[in-house]
Amino acid sequence: MEDTESLTFRTDEVPPELDREAYSEEGVDLTLIRWMLFLSPTERLKVLQQNVQSLARLCNEGTLS
Amino acid sequence: MRVPSVDFLALLQTLVTHGVDFIIVGGVCAVLHGAPIATFDLDLVHSRAPDNIDRLLSALRDLDAYYRGQGERRLHPDSTYLTSPGHQLLMTSLGPLDLLGTIGAHRNYADLLEHTVELQVGGLRLRVLNLETLIEIKEEVGHEKDKAVIPILRRTLQEKSRIEKLRNERG
Repeated sequence: MEDTESLTFRTDEVPPELDREAYSEEGVDLTLIRWMLFLSPTERLKVLQQNVQSLARLCNEGTLS
Repeated sequence: MRVPSVDFLALLQTLVTHGVDFIIVGGVCAVLHGAPIATFDLDLVHSRAPDNIDRLLSALRDLDAYYRGQGERRLHPDSTYLTSPGHQLLMTSLGPLDLLGTIGAHRNYADLLEHTVELQVGGLRLRVLNLETLIEIKEEVGHEKDKAVIPILRRTLQEKSRIEKLRNERG
């Protein structure tokens, strides 16, 4: 089973070899993929959760203004 | 109108507490594997075994689940629909929940089980479709919205392999 803690490490541990290409030929942002891959599954879900909540707040503000 | 709060982890916790057998698929599955995509609902393929349907119904009652897109009417899911291979698009007190009897080329819970991994997420052990099979299914479905995300999923898989290779080389 993939362990939550074992995948968590600091950004200064990201191997520099990975940072050469920023985009794939199809235009996919590889920096975002690498950033997500260096988070644990729990942290990835929190990022998603925060994005959804942030967009919901924006929608609420838009409706109220 | 206030936008309802969404809490995927709490939603999953409720299902786990009720002992529901399910596999996480779709956008949340992609995110758990490290794909940087946005999604607003939780997609699950549930076991349609009678005992599991009972547990699922109990969880859905706790979540005050009802069908989305029915206007003012609050239609609640029942065992007949949950036993079908169709897709039940629900709203719950913790956010949108899609319960899928089958996905892709009519693959059900039992078919998908061997293509899953177990992940530890927020103290829960969750069964998640593996990234390779998620890509296959999105290719099978072939909808524009599915096709659009395939390059990101493929790249996530490739980058994951590169990182694992580098880790192994470094010991």
